[in-house]
Amino acid sequence: MLAEQIVNGLVLGSMYALIALGYTLVFGVLDKLNFAHGDIFMFGGFVGVSVLALGAPLWAGAVAAFVACGVLGLLVELVSFRKFRSHDAQVTAALSSLACSIILIDATQKVWGTEPVALTLATAIRTASITVEGLRVAWVNIGILALTLLLMAALYVLIVRTRMGRNIRAVADSAVAAELLGIDVTRVTQQTFFLASGLAGLAGVMLAVRTGFVTTELGLTFGIKALAVMAIGGMGDLRGAVVGGLLAGLVEAMATQLGLGKFGDMAVWLLMILVLLVRPAGLFGGLRKETRA
Amino acid sequence: MIADHIMFTGVNVLLAWSVYVILLSGSVSFANGAFMAIGGYGAGVLTTKFGLPLVAGIPIAALGTAAFGMIIGLPALRTRGIYLILVTTGIAFCVKNAIEAIPYVGGVRGMRGLVGAEPWHVWVVAGVVGLLLWLLSRTPLQRILDAVREDELVARSLGINTVYVKVIAFGTGAALAAVAGGLYAHYMYVINPEHFGILVSVYVVLYVILGGVNNLWGPPLGAAVMTLLPELIRGLQAWRPIVFGVVIVILLLVRPEGLLPFRSPTARAKEARRG
Repeated sequence: MLAEQIVNGLVLGSMYALIALGYTLVFGVLDKLNFAHGDIFMFGGFVGVSVLALGAPLWAGAVAAFVACGVLGLLVELVSFRKFRSHDAQVTAALSSLACSIILIDATQKVWGTEPVALTLATAIRTASITVEGLRVAWVNIGILALTLLLMAALYVLIVRTRMGRNIRAVADSAVAAELLGIDVTRVTQQTFFLASGLAGLAGVMLAVRTGFVTTELGLTFGIKALAVMAIGGMGDLRGAVVGGLLAGLVEAMATQLGLGKFGDMAVWLLMILVLLVRPAGLFGGLRKETRA
Repeated sequence: MIADHIMFTGVNVLLAWSVYVILLSGSVSFANGAFMAIGGYGAGVLTTKFGLPLVAGIPIAALGTAAFGMIIGLPALRTRGIYLILVTTGIAFCVKNAIEAIPYVGGVRGMRGLVGAEPWHVWVVAGVVGLLLWLLSRTPLQRILDAVREDELVARSLGINTVYVKVIAFGTGAALAAVAGGLYAHYMYVINPEHFGILVSVYVVLYVILGGVNNLWGPPLGAAVMTLLPELIRGLQAWRPIVFGVVIVILLLVRPEGLLPFRSPTARAKEARRG
């Protein structure tokens, strides 16, 4: 079922892309890796599942996850990035955010337990599908694809057309220059973290609706792959995150199609290593500050 | 139990130094867990399948790992900073997944029957490594490494072959991690790929950063503190990961330069001060 796998790959890839957008936004603004991002994504899934368990509609679960993860992102920024601004502190900030994810995983396990938590949405909604030209596509998949497209378009408009987006771009270009021009860099950083983490939270809800359950391992198994996706596309580049995500999803789906099993997990990382060796700035990244240095 | 702590502290001290050696040349490696895995599995294959004694198996595995490290290091070290972090993280994932896919070494279920390493072995090795690193810090080689780390362009203009220096440092670090892995494996009796996940690699870098990167004694101190700390908060058993995480966050905020932040002066600097 090649066509089916392609659809799977695209849906998987769009979720990777959504998480990778968060990594890349933060990297663009701060030049730092946020290792807690993958687990913020995981947490979003848990928030969504819990809200849905209260009988709330799907959109309420998504909004709750967006806000909860956004606030969590602010917290991570405050604890792990606020003090480590200098270029030399890259590794320190990365490790500090990793400590945040250790705390987050354990706290999640304290509240929801270590077992996977099942989604209480009616199975009819999850399995409903439509058949086009002999190809059966679940509505859930269509919904995920449509929503990610919508979110990406909204993000594009936000970054390119609004004042907030302009500030974000200015800080990404040069935090020093932006500060001199009167932009509140700390506030822009906070906005970026809120946005990035919120998007990850939405991706968490999407994955929960698609697979029907959430586990605390998702950050390390699923979320962290988006880190490779970001590097494939070009760090700090929004188009790169989207293209890299879809590419990674397709490659993984193809590996499954060809029955390569374990190789599927490895494929994304191998792809990333190859891309970084040939084009250190990624597929889309022009020569950024660091590669020039 | 006590023997376990002595053993694991020793292994982590060795691992911390393996990251430190690579860091001396200015590269950050998140792949040392993978090198540890190759060393552990390599030595394991040599002792269980080929019947070699441990004293032969571990050095051979270490040499093999060093060769592997240098071969992948040659292209990988073209990248720097965050890019190198990502490449080495990728290597760590690939190696773990590759081992899981090899039935010869037991795949996901792991490998058993590994015996022969005692805690004191690790500490003898750690002592030798510490002595060698201390001697290194008194030789011109240390100053070459310092130059490469602080400014590659200047180092190159002084006629230093920076690629050569960085690749050798990477290979040495890989070999050290492999020795630690070999000893660890032969203490554990059974190892599986989960023992060498990405978190192992990241934790080792954490030990080094927490201990201090500027001198030889920071990394082992960081390793010892972070290995034994979870035991000290044993009373809070249920809350261990949270407390552990909070301690890391606070330590990094309070002492971003590490527990031992001083920079050990080179022999020549000492002479200059005296004269």
